[in-house]
Amino acid sequence: MAEFHKLIARLKTALESPAPSEPHAASSNSAASMPIAPSAQRVELVSGFAREFEAVRGSFLGVLSPEEAAARIASLAREVGARLVAVGEGVTLDAAVFTHALQEGGCAVERFGKLDDGERPAALERLARCDIGIAEAHYAIASTGTFAVVGAPARPNSLTLLPPISVIVVHVERLVLDLAQALGALGPDLVSAHRLSLITGPSRTADIEKRIVLGVHGPKTLYGAIIWPRNG
Amino acid sequence: MARSPAKADFFEASRKAVADHELHRKLQSASDRHLDHVDETRAEFPPFESERDTARRIKEESIAHLDELLIELRRRLEENGCSVFFAADAEQARNYIVGVAKKNGLKRAVKGKSMTTEEIGLNRALIEAGLEVTETDLGEYIVQLRGEPPSHIITPAIHLSKEDVGALFAEKLQMPYTAEPEELTAEARKRLRSAFLGADLGITGANFAIAETGTLVVVENEGNGRMSCTLPDTYVAVVGIEKVIPKLADLSHFLEILARTATGQKLTTYTNFINGPRRAGELDGPREVHVVVLDGGRSAMLADPVMREALYCIRCGACLNVCPVYRRVGGHAYGSTYPGPIGSIVSPNLFGSAAGHLPFASTLCGACRDICPVRIDIPRMLLHIRWKESEDETRAIPWPRGAARARSGVVRFARLARHPRVARMLGRIAGAFLRPFARDGFLRRMPPPFNNWTAVRDFPVPRPRVRRDTAQEADSSGRVP
Repeated sequence: MAEFHKLIARLKTALESPAPSEPHAASSNSAASMPIAPSAQRVELVSGFAREFEAVRGSFLGVLSPEEAAARIASLAREVGARLVAVGEGVTLDAAVFTHALQEGGCAVERFGKLDDGERPAALERLARCDIGIAEAHYAIASTGTFAVVGAPARPNSLTLLPPISVIVVHVERLVLDLAQALGALGPDLVSAHRLSLITGPSRTADIEKRIVLGVHGPKTLYGAIIWPRNG
Repeated sequence: MARSPAKADFFEASRKAVADHELHRKLQSASDRHLDHVDETRAEFPPFESERDTARRIKEESIAHLDELLIELRRRLEENGCSVFFAADAEQARNYIVGVAKKNGLKRAVKGKSMTTEEIGLNRALIEAGLEVTETDLGEYIVQLRGEPPSHIITPAIHLSKEDVGALFAEKLQMPYTAEPEELTAEARKRLRSAFLGADLGITGANFAIAETGTLVVVENEGNGRMSCTLPDTYVAVVGIEKVIPKLADLSHFLEILARTATGQKLTTYTNFINGPRRAGELDGPREVHVVVLDGGRSAMLADPVMREALYCIRCGACLNVCPVYRRVGGHAYGSTYPGPIGSIVSPNLFGSAAGHLPFASTLCGACRDICPVRIDIPRMLLHIRWKESEDETRAIPWPRGAARARSGVVRFARLARHPRVARMLGRIAGAFLRPFARDGFLRRMPPPFNNWTAVRDFPVPRPRVRRDTAQEADSSGRVP
């Protein structure tokens, strides 16, 4: 719970900066039509997300600026002794900020671009050898602690699947209340054009006597962070 | 493995299962744990009931417009670059998939958990065609190593303890014996990871198919489904025709109830959206996507106004866990890919009259109807099939034994009950006659033809005070003494 209070404190600080523009499209939810300051609503979403994300055994890194997030991820990489880290292209962020911090910390960084079919097996093998995969989600869902991760050539879907440690960040403006809002925000066009995964916690199984074991096929550890730029 | 159930088996297998106390313990603890989680997550989510209604309504409408939706689904899938094959029965589906494997020269298949591929007996067909097939869901991997079919549609290895799995892994995988789920899972991860990276064919089912976008949705916790549809160069999805829903916006209503009922989670770990092959320059996804849309007896269910409701099933598996019969005998006794209450309904329709006895393996207690997230009236359908089976002379199923005799017995009892004084007197005479043979108020064995009863349950000897007297006392005092 200490993390939770720290989080609220950070949020209060964050709230002192001027209110950002309206985050997402008008929702059908009646609660959204109540006169609540956008920032207050956002704080609600953030604390809800953090609570649910921890409940599904995610590790919440906090509400961070891009630079703070980069530093936090670099120190994380040091802690676990990561040598090779895969970084996907950002959605709202410039992933270079992560790349630089990691390289300064002595990690080799794997980036992605367009591939020929022939290069694919080797690229997959390399990605499977990475210690950490870092991705930015399109949206995150507060009521379930879920990230919606949309794939693209420079942001492969298996970035959040193959490495044993997965780090997913999301911009605070892309935090939505529930699944219906997330699907609405993604929209049929985006969904039919990309590989998309909703990720709710680390890979898990309960197949042996209903005991929960993490990391059966996908990542054993999932870190999540919400990016709230200082000037945002 | 597709299993069309044989009649005699249910008697044999359930008799053995009922005597297996270890099996009870495992089934009981697993299903209790599941039901506790379900209660908790539902209580925390007030809109649950209205989501159930919405999901039910969408299913009703989708199934009512199944033809149009399948046309749209096919068009959109093909626009997305998938090959779509409609299979009328299991054989067509198997042949198509084996054909794809042969055409592409495929050798190693990895499978995500899929009941539909179990239904069509795909594994055997692929193995006979020379492929190596690895089940990658941990539970499915375990039962595959044991050479068994799954015993539950959500938790395939529900009938095994961690010690059973430890012994299995020690024997088959030559690892030191341990009963720690953590270590057993780690070993499976290591082995299956290399299977994934070396596979050239990935196979899964799908939980939903969205017509509007031409998208398959695969819901899972482990990540093996995601691997199967991401890594191998050829990917095949086997989808029952009833899985189609109209719009992307409809999906949330199902996802909000599916995991809550199936596993007691708010949402499963992974919800994967598959649209088609990988696009130019992409790392992820197969080069070829084949979607096999399976009828296999489903259209016959659609044609029957009562059975149609069974097509609303979203395969959450909750009705198995609440069913007093399933909890006693386990999944294998049913001898069908789909065990439990919903299995007793769909099996006779998918596998023919050989499964016609399964609808009789139910107490009609209604627990399945209450827990069903889309409110399928399972007991009503069980009665409907029983009625059809008993009317249909050509099927002539020998079970339940002596159905006609039982019916005439009930008629005689009804006639007798109209004369309470005679009934009471006969009851007292029978009681006085039988009591010397009873132990603790029950007869354990009786001569033919009464042994039909005592073969499966003890016969309670009428006590000196018969039912009718009790009923009178209950009336005067307001409750049963």
